[in-house]
Amino acid sequence: MKNWNWLNKFGPLLALLLVYLFFAAFNSKMTTLPAMEAMILQTVIVAISAIGMTLVIISGGIDLSAGSIIAFGSVVVALCIVTFNLPPVVAAFCGVFAGMLCGFLNGFLITRIKLVPFIVTLGSLLLVRGLAKGFAGSMPVNAGETWLSELLATLPAGQKWQLIPPGAWLMIFLAVLVAGLLRYTKIGRHIFAIGSNEQTARLCGVAVERAKLIVYSVAGAFSGLAGLMLMSYQEQGDPTGAVGLELDVIAAVVIGGGSLSGGEGSIFGSLIGAMIMTVIRTGCQLNGWAPWVTQIVTGIVIVMAVTVDRLRHRNNHQ
Amino acid sequence: MVAVKRQDENPPPRLEMRGIHKRFGATIALDEVTFSILQGEVHALVGENGAGKSTLMKILSGAHTADAGEMKLDGRPYLPQSPLDGRLQGVAMIYQELSLAPHLTVEENIMLGVEPVLHGFILHKEMRETAMRAIEKFDHPELKPQVRVRELTVGAQQLVEIGRSLAIGCRVLVFDEPTSSLSQKDIQRLFEIIRSLKKQGISIIYISHFLEEVQEIADRVTVLRDSTVVGSKRTAEISTDEIVHMMVGREVADLYPRSKRKAGETVLEIKNLSGVKKPANANLALHRGEVLGICGLVGAGRTELLRIIFGLDEVKGGEIKIGIYTGAGSPLQRWQNGTGMLSENRKEEGLALNMSVADNVTLSRLQNFGPAGIVLPKKQEEATQDWIDRLDIRCRNAAQPVGDLSGGNQQKVAFARLLQHDVDVFLLDEPTRGIDVAAKAKLYAVIDELASGSGNFSSSPRAVLVVSSYLPELLGICDRIAVMARGNLSEAKPVAEVD
Amino acid sequence: MPKRFAVIILLVILSLSLFMCAEKKMKEGPLTISVIPKGTTHAFWQSIHAGAVKAGKELGVNVLWVGPEREDNRQQQIMLVDNQVVNQVDAIVLAPSDAVALRRPVKNAVRRGVPVVIIDSGLENSAEVYASFVATDNLKGGEIAADQLAKMLHGRGRIIMLRLLEGHASTGKREKGFLSALQRYPEIEITSAEQYGGATKASAQTAAENLLLRFRDGQGNFTVDGIFCVNESTTYGMLQALRRHRLAGQVKFVGFDAAASLLDAMKKDEIDGLVVQDPFKMGFLGVKTAVDFLNGKQVQKRIDTGVVFITKADIDKPEMQDFLFPDIEKWLQ
Repeated sequence: MKNWNWLNKFGPLLALLLVYLFFAAFNSKMTTLPAMEAMILQTVIVAISAIGMTLVIISGGIDLSAGSIIAFGSVVVALCIVTFNLPPVVAAFCGVFAGMLCGFLNGFLITRIKLVPFIVTLGSLLLVRGLAKGFAGSMPVNAGETWLSELLATLPAGQKWQLIPPGAWLMIFLAVLVAGLLRYTKIGRHIFAIGSNEQTARLCGVAVERAKLIVYSVAGAFSGLAGLMLMSYQEQGDPTGAVGLELDVIAAVVIGGGSLSGGEGSIFGSLIGAMIMTVIRTGCQLNGWAPWVTQIVTGIVIVMAVTVDRLRHRNNHQ
Repeated sequence: MVAVKRQDENPPPRLEMRGIHKRFGATIALDEVTFSILQGEVHALVGENGAGKSTLMKILSGAHTADAGEMKLDGRPYLPQSPLDGRLQGVAMIYQELSLAPHLTVEENIMLGVEPVLHGFILHKEMRETAMRAIEKFDHPELKPQVRVRELTVGAQQLVEIGRSLAIGCRVLVFDEPTSSLSQKDIQRLFEIIRSLKKQGISIIYISHFLEEVQEIADRVTVLRDSTVVGSKRTAEISTDEIVHMMVGREVADLYPRSKRKAGETVLEIKNLSGVKKPANANLALHRGEVLGICGLVGAGRTELLRIIFGLDEVKGGEIKIGIYTGAGSPLQRWQNGTGMLSENRKEEGLALNMSVADNVTLSRLQNFGPAGIVLPKKQEEATQDWIDRLDIRCRNAAQPVGDLSGGNQQKVAFARLLQHDVDVFLLDEPTRGIDVAAKAKLYAVIDELASGSGNFSSSPRAVLVVSSYLPELLGICDRIAVMARGNLSEAKPVAEVD
Repeated sequence: MPKRFAVIILLVILSLSLFMCAEKKMKEGPLTISVIPKGTTHAFWQSIHAGAVKAGKELGVNVLWVGPEREDNRQQQIMLVDNQVVNQVDAIVLAPSDAVALRRPVKNAVRRGVPVVIIDSGLENSAEVYASFVATDNLKGGEIAADQLAKMLHGRGRIIMLRLLEGHASTGKREKGFLSALQRYPEIEITSAEQYGGATKASAQTAAENLLLRFRDGQGNFTVDGIFCVNESTTYGMLQALRRHRLAGQVKFVGFDAAASLLDAMKKDEIDGLVVQDPFKMGFLGVKTAVDFLNGKQVQKRIDTGVVFITKADIDKPEMQDFLFPDIEKWLQ
């Protein structure tokens, strides 16, 4: 029984190490510092969005609009800088806020009009994508070089002491913060309770609607922040970027132990899930394997993660 | 003559299970269990939860395989490979949770998997005739071959399930808690059907917690305790108390303790309260220091009444007054008013099954478990451990998921939430449904202590409102009882005046 | 439990620090050049691939071919460039899918000592960063298409143009060249130039069909005289749409790039003319320039690989054979 508990907590981490060592055995370049830095950089966008997605999935919902919100966020930040000449820091907040508004819209439709999250966010997936293209005039918005670009750029030679770029530090800080909120606050417990059994939560006096509204808004804000990171990564707001990225984000949460039926999931698990997908992709690319190999391997890992999860549950119940 | 007499004394059993042994890991689930049933016999199988009833039935149905022992059906070896195999050989289960396809019609459900086909096309006429033959004996007004199953009441759905087993020629039917969600009328109808099945020579294994029903319907009763058979008796020769004794293994001193209670001020009052459908114009006053029972059939509006009071359902008209607070309120406000509710449906509403015992006990009030706004799991678990000890909840620790516990222990956890919240008014909906005798006894004792304000659980008297379908229980624990029928609530009468 | 956790953390830190100590190995053997196209599915990119492989064989260097599957996935291409730098290749030949988004990774590569040769389409304000720019003169390609189409229409008529992608540098130049050259023909009206075909042939076909529907009048007559499409996928999508609307051959139709399917259509008079680049040469020169640069030779900052306008009559001319049908199979088995 103890062994299973142990796997429960550190299973994803173990999987990450295994996958990493597998590719490292194939290709020593995986172990170089630039490779590490590149992999962390390539994880940040998915990982930040996955923090918010973890909350949504724990509460028993789903957010299919994450990819569109990321694109929308990047466009808003870029437009704020280029068109409205706002200082970068204000533009960044506008991007996050725009994401939050999209999330709030999702939450509002889900709680007030009582629609299924899958349908609502499927709708906003298109709606927000359209808004992003409309705002940007269907063209990438070039923001020019500001310090925002440094969020997700490889560190210049003089700043190697920072170890990883500021965007990655921000991701770690937020992950710790949200993980703490989930575990050690009332709203955190309530989110778990809603996902585990919404009726029980209601019976126990949990303000279910309010909590869901908060969850979807926060998830939107995190996707907006991921949009800021995308804009930093590409130095432009990209209305056609991050298409289908919501599936990567959801996959990260699921690999990290999240259950699509709600009540289960962990922030660190999701970060590791995102890392695993990057390691697989980078590993395949460094070995010169084609994209379809990457997709097959990632698919196998997702199915394996869910299978292990099932087995674990079965063992716990006997 | 002698030979005929011998046959009468010892007719060959329809089904025989001999020396059945089964272990899961380190726990022995069944130890040398022997069980048999005659043709046309109703044989009740009783025992506390965890005694091994369900494991035995799973082995019988083919869901599990026994480690040792043999089974014979009509004298021939019976070795089911799966529940489907078991059904085809003639042994069918009728479970509490029905396994029907709600979107299909009655006849489609009955013939599911055994549809008469010619070249891959379903022979509709033949199908209808077979289905009709299976259900016509039931003589139930709702049962028509073309109706979709989801439109039927639970009682009628159960008949469909029985019809399905008869249609493929089952000789042994196992009923697992068949009456727990049936109305009184449906129960009587079910009993008649069981009697007529019996006349046709079908053998019935009847599992139930309701010993009165066992006395009424069964010819013989076998009691399981701690993985073994403790006795098998003809029901005519044994009293309910003796069955309880065999189940628990010790004298239940007094199942329904009654300390001195003194009714105080009114804490909950409703006037002309109406819901969207039910109840209509209900009036009720609950006093501190009393247990007030509401009896009636399933579907009469009892649960709805509690839900409306607790703010889970909409108030259509009338007044609710709890203590000094008047008017409708959300569940959150009700908890804040000092009212707590225990749901009738433990699995779907009462508990978050994959959360820990501690989370479930403390969910309604996550305060004082750490510095401002912080909830420390350790403190939650400490507070919960206290209730685990006092209510004798069997679990590994407070961090164990509540879904791992047995029914009785789960119910104690749900009850502990109200105690932890320290509420004044207890709204209990079917508090002992589907739990074993020992757990029942514990809950009855706690309810008595709460009402009387004596003992471990309360220093001052509380008010308890109990809804139950089980009249003996209400007679045992209540001071007053009101009856709910078709949404109308009668005036509450003292227990002594109820017959 | 905490003990186990501590052990794991320790392991992670240990392995990380080990890797950090890992030194860059000295290189031996032939040079390795990564070629990163915008996409991998179109025939255009296969020609570039073949040209690059040919250069690799002739010059004795390894050529790695790595590309995103969709041409509009900028993020994925950035990751590819970053990962090739990590892969410690000697040089990168890149067809950037965006003139701005790929700037940072290219700069980063050059800073890490991996020179970059840009092919096919440009990179904005980065001439001091990359080694050379090897491409078709796309502006000129657009102008040629405009002049030829105007000639076919005798200087008058209604024209539509189907664009490729938002923010796509090479086709953007063709579009610009086409539109500005048409200014010289006052009697030609551009009725639609605002639609984009998108990244795939399927999306281009959808956009094209919608355009055709739009320009049917009440009697079902088609009211457009000439069509220009800016690359292989839009030309093919438009061709399919015209076929389904039974309009193929009835409108003057000029496309871009020479895929086998387009040349076949031209033989059947469904396409009137194609502006043809020389992707094979582009791939070849891209790799060759990179190798020259690595070997310290002086390379030109801008290398034009040329465009030609061809019609049905040109297909069978012997001098066009090498140009139109480079021996892709030979280099790509």
